[in-house]
Amino acid sequence: MKRGGSHWIIGVAALLFCTLSRTHVSSFHATPWITAGIAVVLMLTAMALFARGDSRADRLASPLLFGLLLLWLWEMLVFALQIPFVILPPPSAIALAIWNHLAILRIDFEQTYLHAVVAGYAIGCGAGFLLALAIDRSPFLQRGLTPLGNLISAMPIIGIAPIMVMWFGFGWQSKAAVVVLMTVFPMLVNTRAGLAEYGAMERDLMRTYAAGYWQTLWRLRLPAAMPLIFNALKLNSTLALIGAVVAEFFGTPTRGMGFRISTEAARMNLDVVWATIAVAALAGSVSFALIAMIERAVTFWHPSLRDAEGR
Amino acid sequence: MKKRLLAATAAAMLGLAMAWAAPAAQAADPLTLQLKWVTQGQFVGYYVALAKGFYKAEDLDVTIKPGGPDINPDQVLAGGGADVVIDWMPSALATREKGVPIVNIAQVFQHSGLELTCRRDSGIKTPTDFKGKTLGVWFSGNEYPFLSWMAKLGYSTDGAHPDVTVLKQGFNVDPLLQKQAACISTMTYNEYWQLIEAGMKPAQLIVFKYQAEDVATLEDGLYVLQPTLDDPAKVARLARFLKASKQGWDYADSHQAEAVKILLAADTAGVLTKDHQTRMVSEVAKLIGKDGWGYLISADYNRTVDELLSTKSTPVISKKPEGAYTHAVWDKAFK
Repeated sequence: MKRGGSHWIIGVAALLFCTLSRTHVSSFHATPWITAGIAVVLMLTAMALFARGDSRADRLASPLLFGLLLLWLWEMLVFALQIPFVILPPPSAIALAIWNHLAILRIDFEQTYLHAVVAGYAIGCGAGFLLALAIDRSPFLQRGLTPLGNLISAMPIIGIAPIMVMWFGFGWQSKAAVVVLMTVFPMLVNTRAGLAEYGAMERDLMRTYAAGYWQTLWRLRLPAAMPLIFNALKLNSTLALIGAVVAEFFGTPTRGMGFRISTEAARMNLDVVWATIAVAALAGSVSFALIAMIERAVTFWHPSLRDAEGR
Repeated sequence: MKKRLLAATAAAMLGLAMAWAAPAAQAADPLTLQLKWVTQGQFVGYYVALAKGFYKAEDLDVTIKPGGPDINPDQVLAGGGADVVIDWMPSALATREKGVPIVNIAQVFQHSGLELTCRRDSGIKTPTDFKGKTLGVWFSGNEYPFLSWMAKLGYSTDGAHPDVTVLKQGFNVDPLLQKQAACISTMTYNEYWQLIEAGMKPAQLIVFKYQAEDVATLEDGLYVLQPTLDDPAKVARLARFLKASKQGWDYADSHQAEAVKILLAADTAGVLTKDHQTRMVSEVAKLIGKDGWGYLISADYNRTVDELLSTKSTPVISKKPEGAYTHAVWDKAFK
């Protein structure tokens, strides 16, 4: 706490003013708006101060405060403009819905994420990677499979999803199949591009060592391809989630995030819809962050990850 | 060159003619109708009224917006995207309880067309045989009648070991053709015929009509927002809309072949087939009812409300709705 104390105090004060203005926003006097104005100013000040800090907590606090500010503005505007609940519920209602439906949200998350997304993602990325290797090895396959891959990636999900339901039934397997189809191609393209990433000098060096195809692949080309492969992994983590949720609009058992979103939207329970969206967003961000962490661990040597001091 | 001059003259003449006609066209009151589903025989009356100029004769400029699986008419109404929407009463009442002041101004279908159609080879003979079976149900607001029926039978539909396994079926009949479900939801005027057209024989199917099982809820009705009804000018406009719509429905009933032609012409997607629509138009005509077109019979309304309140596990509505329908517009139009 050398000079960090002041901005923590300002941050807390800002939050205090936020709650103050929120508690009586429904009554149309000037008070909530004055406190709201103060809250915004304090928030921005605190954020600016935190942004200058360089401890870990400081760096986390700034985006956190910004997120809170956005949520609070949303809350205030929904109340102040009296936006109908079915058009946009306030964040407080969404938080309440999350709390009240924890059991359901957990079942949906299991069905959609732990079954369909994880299985589809693993199979899709694995298949994309192996296909890329096969294409890299054989020009014949390259000419045959590349257009096919293009074709698969261009198929609209709303066309595929009902067909997959016919083939694999209503369960999560059909959703996993959609995810596979969505994730294969980005992985294939990125891996292929990655395998061409090595320089002529390294290749000549490998030749000098009398390394064969597989050795060259293992020691040189795959490591060089890692940044692009991770690119695809990150891209696919969000694609897979979107694919599974949208696929669930077309025939499901009575659980799953996509099922929940489509049915509760029709029942005008928009708070539950947003609660599910929040879970999906959180799951997507966490998987993305997880892959990014693995990437840092695997490709620490890559120039893009070295910081200025060359550590 | 000559041709061009001729064309220009013609265009100028046309423009003049349009300018003459414009004041008359501008005077027509605009009204947007949001359908519950895609353009098809279910809504034939409105399309006929539009094509035959019945709306125009009532000085209305009506726009018909087709719906679809991702379109919730009540939400369109709440968001200001339409003046009148077609919806089923259960979902309308559920929406009303959520705070959208939606009101029924006319009940177009007095009979329900909803049914569960089962394969005979699934061993189902009566509704009590549903236990342990997989049933396909439409959601998006159409699940309420089913849920209250199951509640009436005392069968649970969710939890770890439900009495009946519910599938959220897409809007096609494949689950039954492929034996993925023992029964699926169908409409008398649509999906049942899709099954027949797909090669199933009526003898292979057993149909449970909600109407016959005494679990029917009111389907296609016309709904508006309460503030619209507080404005006498708008009520008069809605009354004219009802009048012209009834004309359209009557005409469609007595000229079914022509009505199908009108539908096919209105189908921008170009997916309707003549045979299927011919069946649909004739089946839909049976649902209109004979007690004054569009008049909401209080007994039917009460039955629907009781039906919805009886669902203990997942209540569709939790209390008796107040002011959820009005006869004011109908009276103005037809009395």
